[in-house]
Amino acid sequence: MTDMMQLARRAVDEALAQGADYADARVVHLLSEELALKNGRLAQAQAPEEFGIGVRVRRDGCFGFAAAPITSDGRDGLARDVARRALRTATELSGAVVEPSKLAGSEGHVAEFTTPVEVDPFAVPIAEKLEHLRAAEASMEGDDRVIVRKASASSRREEQWQASSEGAAIHQLLVRCGAGIGATAAANGQVETRSAPASFGGNYVGGGWENVTSLALADEGARVRDEAVALCHADLCPPGTRTLILGGSQLMLQIHESVGHPNELDRVHGHEVDLAGSSFATTDKLGAFTYGSDVVNLVADSTVRGGLDTRGFDDECVPSQRWHVVKDGTFSGYHTSREWAHAIGEERSRGTARAEGWFHPPIIRITNLSLMPGTWGFDDLIADTEDGAVFADTVKMWSIDQRRLNFQFTCEIGWEVKDGKLGRMLRRPTYQGTTPEFWAGCDAICDERHWRLWGVPNCGKGNPMQVAEMSHGAAPARFRGVTFVEA
Amino acid sequence: MGILDRTAALDVARSLVDSSTADETEVVIDSQEERFVRFAATGPTQSADHERHVVSVRVRLDDAGGKREGAAMCDGVDPALVNGALERAIELARHAPANPDLAPLAGPADAGTCEPDAETLAHGFEPKAAWVREAIDACRREDLVPSGIAQTGGEARAVVSSAGRAAYAARSRASYALTASSPDLVGGAGFADRIVPRVADLDPADVTRRAVAKSVANRDAREVAPGEYTVVLEPAAVSALVLFAGYQGFSCQDVEEQMSFLCGRLGERTLSESLSIADDAYDATYPGIPFDWEGSPKQRTPLIERGVMAGTVSDHAWATKLGVANTGHARLQPHPGGPQPANLVVAAGDQSLEELIAGVDRGLLVTQFHYTNLIDPRELTLTGMTRNGTYMIEDGKLSYPVKNLRFTESMTRAWSRITGVGRDRAVSGALFDGEVVTPALRIDGFRFTSTTAF
Repeated sequence: MTDMMQLARRAVDEALAQGADYADARVVHLLSEELALKNGRLAQAQAPEEFGIGVRVRRDGCFGFAAAPITSDGRDGLARDVARRALRTATELSGAVVEPSKLAGSEGHVAEFTTPVEVDPFAVPIAEKLEHLRAAEASMEGDDRVIVRKASASSRREEQWQASSEGAAIHQLLVRCGAGIGATAAANGQVETRSAPASFGGNYVGGGWENVTSLALADEGARVRDEAVALCHADLCPPGTRTLILGGSQLMLQIHESVGHPNELDRVHGHEVDLAGSSFATTDKLGAFTYGSDVVNLVADSTVRGGLDTRGFDDECVPSQRWHVVKDGTFSGYHTSREWAHAIGEERSRGTARAEGWFHPPIIRITNLSLMPGTWGFDDLIADTEDGAVFADTVKMWSIDQRRLNFQFTCEIGWEVKDGKLGRMLRRPTYQGTTPEFWAGCDAICDERHWRLWGVPNCGKGNPMQVAEMSHGAAPARFRGVTFVEA
Repeated sequence: MGILDRTAALDVARSLVDSSTADETEVVIDSQEERFVRFAATGPTQSADHERHVVSVRVRLDDAGGKREGAAMCDGVDPALVNGALERAIELARHAPANPDLAPLAGPADAGTCEPDAETLAHGFEPKAAWVREAIDACRREDLVPSGIAQTGGEARAVVSSAGRAAYAARSRASYALTASSPDLVGGAGFADRIVPRVADLDPADVTRRAVAKSVANRDAREVAPGEYTVVLEPAAVSALVLFAGYQGFSCQDVEEQMSFLCGRLGERTLSESLSIADDAYDATYPGIPFDWEGSPKQRTPLIERGVMAGTVSDHAWATKLGVANTGHARLQPHPGGPQPANLVVAAGDQSLEELIAGVDRGLLVTQFHYTNLIDPRELTLTGMTRNGTYMIEDGKLSYPVKNLRFTESMTRAWSRITGVGRDRAVSGALFDGEVVTPALRIDGFRFTSTTAF
C-alpha cells in the first residue's frame, strides 16, 4: 500500500523536477466481479482487474495527462516516464493556450477513507453468490411466455492512492455492490421486459454484499414475471396531457438527466459541446431561476451513506461535500471542479472531479444527487389524485437535447389512477417535456418511508467517453400537466 | 510503449494458454494507445497520452453435466497480473454451474491480419496544437466559439486458444471534430468531422471550414412546427439511426429472443430498394480488425440487401446452436448480449448532397442527431433531437436555418420511404459506441414530434 503511495509521489516529484508548476498522480487498483444467469445457464462469470497510474501536470497554464498500466518490475522508471509524458503533452499543447488554466484553493490533505462495509463481497464464496442468483432467476420460472429470464450481480472494489504537488496523500478504498432481475415476455404480438428493483442490472449501492441479500430478489421474481406477461396484453399508454406520478426507479433518471447533467459547470461553459452538449442552466440563473416548484429540493451529497459516489475525496484531492443544487425550487448551486470553481466566484471546488479508473483525466461528474423527501404517504398520494392520471416507473428509454431542456422518457410500466387507486396497467408510458416546466409541475413528494437511493452505474460523459457511477435518492412524486406522447 | 506488436502479444497469450490447467483456455489481448486533445475557446481543455493492454482469459473445465466456464481480465501483460487473471478465471469456473449448451472452443482458422499506419501511431501533440489554434482563429473570425477533439491512436487484438486459434491484427485511427457555436451556446452551431485510418488522409482545415460554414448558416434559426417532413440526413445523422440497428436488431440472438425488427421479416422486401446495409470489416474506406473476439474470421455479411431484410450476424455459440455459418461477430466472451455488428457499411447511391437537396420541394436538411435512443426494438422505433445545423429546404434549395426538433420514428417505416442515397460516404459515429460508413439519405415523411427553443 505504502509502495503505491510512494509511486504516486515519485511521479509528482518527477513532474515538478522537470518543470511542472502543478502535478497530481493517482494509482488505481480495481477489482470487479460480474455474475449473470440467463434462462438457467451461467451467462457471465467475469473477474476484471485494473491497475495503473495516471498523472496530470500543468505547465504554462496548460494541463497534460498520461497514463500507463503498472508492472511488477521497474515501477519507479514507469512513474517517471508517465510523468514526463504528461509534461511533454502539456508543453507541446501550451502554444495553443488562450486562457491559462488555474486551480481553486490548495488541497494538500493527508487522509484515508473506506466505504463502510458489513459483508466484503469478495469474501463471500462464489458458490453462495451463484446460488443467490440461481434462486432469483428460478423465481421467474413458470410461464412459457417468458422467453428471457436474467439475474445478475456486480461487485467492485476500487483502491486508490493520490498524491499531489500540494502535499496531498490520500488513500481510499471504495466498495459497491449491485444486483437485479429481469424477465422478457413475448405474447399477444408484443415483447415487453420488466425488471426489479430497477432496469439495467438492478440497483447498486455503495457498501457490501449485504446490499444484495437485502434486495430479496427471489421474492420479486413471480411479480416481475407476471408483470412482463401482463404488459404484453396491456393497453398502450394514450397520448394527452395529464398528471404523472413517477416511482423512484424512474424519477432517479429524471433527476440525473434534467438536473444532474445541466448542473455540471464545464458543460455550462461549453467545454462538453463537442459531444455531450451544453446546458440551459447558465450562471446568470444561479440564485434566481425557478427550477421547480417550492417543494422541490435537490441536494448533492458525496458524503451520504450508500451512495455510489460516496467517498472521502474526489480525484483532485478535494474533500466530499453536501450542498443544495435546488433549494425550495430555486436554482442554488453547481457541480464544480478546481478548474471551474472560480467561474462562479467560489474559492473552493465542490469536489466533483472524477476520472474513470487510472486511464482517464478527471472531469466534472454528477455526484449523489437526490430529490429530498416530502410529506406524503404513497397510498394517500394516489388517493388524492384524479382519475386518468398515470403512475409510471422504471427506466426503459431516455433521450434529452444537448441543452437538457426537451426530454422524452419511456417507462417500463404504468398504471392508470382510477377512484383513488391504481387501475388498469398501461404499456410503454412515454412522456415528453421541458425541464423547468416539468419540475415546476411537481406538487407532491412522498415522505422518507418511500425514499431510497438508486444507483446509476452507467453514466457516460466526456470525449472519449468515461463511465462514472453515482446515486440519486428519490421517493415517488407527482407532476401536473405532463404531456404523454404516442411511442 | 504503445500498442503491443505481434510477437509480444502472441507470446504473452501463448504462454498463458500453455500454462493453464483448464481443459480449454482462450486468451484475448486488446491493446490500445491514444493521444487526444479536446479544446474550446480557452485553448486545450483536456488531453491524454495513454495506453492500456487488457488481457482477458476464458477457461472451461469439463464436467459430466457440461462445461464450467469462468473468465477474468487484467490491465497489462505483467506476468503476475496475467497469471492472477488465469487463477481467478479457473476459480470462477470451478464454482460455475456446468453448462451443457457450451460448444467446445472453435479450432484453427485463417483469421487474416492488418497493420496500423506508423505515422498515425507516432502523431504527437505539436501538430494537434496547430489544428487547435487554427480552429480557434477561424471561429473567432466569425464570432463563434469552438469545441472539438483531435485524436490519433491504434488498437491491436490478439487471440490465442488451446483449440489452435492464433490471430493478431492491428489498426490505426485518426479523427478531428469541431463544433462551432455562437458565443452564448444558444444561437446556432455547426458541426463537421472526419474519421480516417491514416492521419495523412485527415484535412483538419477542411473540417474547420465546414463546421464554421455550417454555423454561420445557422444564425437566426426559425421555429418550425413538428410534423412530417422530407429529410436529407447527412452521414452524421444517418449513423445515429443505423448504429441502433447494430445495438439491437442485426444479431441472430436479437431475432431468436424476439427483440429485433427483423423478426418475421427476414427474406422479405419491406424497405426501399435503394437501401443496402452490410457488416464489412474489409470495406476499403475504413477497414476493421478482420476477426472477432474469438479469433473467428469476419465475413462480409449482408443485413439489408436492396430493401430485403437479408441476414444477421452470428458468433461461434449461436452458429453452433442454430446450425448456421459463423459470421465472425462475437463480442468479448462471455457476453450475455450475444453477437454484434462491428463494421456497419451503408451502400452508396448515385447522388451528390446537392442533388439530394434539389429533389426536395419542402423539407429539412439534418446535420446530426443527438441522444438518439430506442423505444421499440420490434419496429426499431427511435427518438432523438436534431443538432448543430438543421435547415429548411424549399424548392430544392437551402432556405433558412430552423430550431431543433425531436423525431420519434420507426426505421421500418422510415427506411421504406428512402427516395435518394448519396454517392459520397463518410465514417460517422454518434453519442454512444460505434462508427458507420454511410452516405447521406433522403427520406419522405420523417416524423418530428416536438420542438425546442433553440
